[in-house]
Amino acid sequence: MTSPISIVLRKELKDALRDKRSVMAAMSYAFFGPLLMAVAFYVLISQLTDTSDVKIEIQGAEHAPAFVAHLERQGVVQRDEPWPEGQQPIVLEIAEGWDENIASAQPARVTLTADFSSQKQRTDIRRVEQAVEGYTAQLTYIRLQMRGIDPLITQGVNLVKHDTATKGSKAAILMGSVLIFILLSVFFSGMNVAIDISAGERERNSLELLLSQPLTTDQLVWGKGLAASAFAMFGGILSAILIPIIFKFLPLHEIGMSVSLAWPLILLIIVLLVPLALFATALQLFVSFRAKSFKEAQTYISLLLMAPMLVVFGVEFARVKNQILYYLPLTGQHQALLDIIKGEQLNWAGMGISAAATVVVSVLLFKLISRMLSSEKVVFGL
Amino acid sequence: MIEVKSLQKSFGKVTALDGLTFSAPEGQITGLLGPNGAGKTTCLRTIYGLLKADTGEALIDGIDASKSPLEARRKIGIFPDKFGLYERLTAREQIAYFATLHGMAGDSGAAAVEEVIQRLDMSAIADRRATGFSQGQRMKVALAQAIVHRPKHLILDEPSRGLDVMSTRILRDLLRELKAQGTSILFSSHVMQEVAALCDQVVVVAAGKVAAQGTPDELCAQTGETALEEAFVKIIGTDEGIAA
Repeated sequence: MTSPISIVLRKELKDALRDKRSVMAAMSYAFFGPLLMAVAFYVLISQLTDTSDVKIEIQGAEHAPAFVAHLERQGVVQRDEPWPEGQQPIVLEIAEGWDENIASAQPARVTLTADFSSQKQRTDIRRVEQAVEGYTAQLTYIRLQMRGIDPLITQGVNLVKHDTATKGSKAAILMGSVLIFILLSVFFSGMNVAIDISAGERERNSLELLLSQPLTTDQLVWGKGLAASAFAMFGGILSAILIPIIFKFLPLHEIGMSVSLAWPLILLIIVLLVPLALFATALQLFVSFRAKSFKEAQTYISLLLMAPMLVVFGVEFARVKNQILYYLPLTGQHQALLDIIKGEQLNWAGMGISAAATVVVSVLLFKLISRMLSSEKVVFGL
Repeated sequence: MIEVKSLQKSFGKVTALDGLTFSAPEGQITGLLGPNGAGKTTCLRTIYGLLKADTGEALIDGIDASKSPLEARRKIGIFPDKFGLYERLTAREQIAYFATLHGMAGDSGAAAVEEVIQRLDMSAIADRRATGFSQGQRMKVALAQAIVHRPKHLILDEPSRGLDVMSTRILRDLLRELKAQGTSILFSSHVMQEVAALCDQVVVVAAGKVAAQGTPDELCAQTGETALEEAFVKIIGTDEGIAA
């Protein structure tokens, strides 16, 4: 005799696969989330790596042709076209008497006028400043040398910058936010199915008959739970596979990053998602078995979805660092994924314990739902 | 044999069942007749173990559903108060789902499903999805789900509600046929004609108690009335909640 769990599981899967809304929901989140991130990063990268000339207004260029030539070599050139709407002009004004000041070794006056609070023009302004600073440094060297002084005397401290960031660890900052998509895809993908097989069952009046069949509520809950988990996992797998692929097409190397996830690591991510899928489903079923209609369940679950989002975003952005995070449900998977992407030493014990903790919590939740369904108060809403 | 022994059940301050006792023997159709709110549905739900009685017991072949629900439920077919179908499954798949839940898998299960489809004359809709089924077609699917595993006991809660003449006939014919095969059938109703036409035994329930019990003729004789409806009104003392 086939186990009632697998009977319920198979029926619910068949039912859910025919529901275009559920399938679309499972796919779309896993698909469009990473795609959206990719587009955002693409725009960001092309802004960061913009090497075209900075075009500004240079007034009084005729006073200092050598200076202007230096600026041109640094990519700061005279602007011919008008400024676009809503952008403050950047104006570099070379004062008269440049020649005298240079000749008498006085500071030559150059005025930079711009909106220094503008986000968009920040890199442009910075480049103009750097170009001017570069010229100043050259002048200083020449002036000191002419007086027979070693120019090095001006350097009190020689700060040597030694960047230990690997390409991978730079990418981690970027991938950290993408990770959230992988984790949350598990929560979003199974949601529709979870609602349909719980609150939906009540709404279409089929719950009473189902509960009167010769199977225990435990078997019923596990069959349904596994079906919804399968959908959650489907979304998780899809995003875990898609995200590295999408990032291959981004010119990340241009900003000195590299994201390369080997297939074994992707497989590890997928394995880590399994207990999480169970946990997500258990939470959703717990909430929506109490709801009387699909709509009501949707309201509860969208509130419930805030919880994992808050946890993950909170840990991500508040930069919470605590060993306990490695061992708890959800945060454990989050930390493990972060380590995987950073290419750091993997905390196998943490992964194992958090996975076990997640499974234990899920099993307890399933037990609780099963108890709920044995209670006439919950079933008939007394 | 379904035996109900002094069932007592209250929801808060409302007493739904107040010492209800009756039995539905094999090869007979027992009608549970009563006005709306008399406790019929509560009684049936207690028999298949969805509700727990405060005191008393309900036995199916001597098995108490509140103590060993699975064993009791294997012996019964249920046509519930509300029957919703799974809109995305075909009629055949729904019936097969309940057949497998009763342990009828594989070829023998498929054969049983086919048999019940033939019997209820629903081959035309068997492989259509339930969306768009008429009330009569839905009733057939629900009925098929209830009897596909050939239960020895059949419990129906207001089965003819919302059915047209043809569907009602199919239902009655099926019940008579099952009765002839020795099934004990218990069904609740507040429709007089149906009870009079079908039942071997009528249990009149009012305010959670048995108000009278017997064949339709006996009930008429007891009250000195010629029509069951009049007898019924006399028994419960009011004509509130009764349909002719």
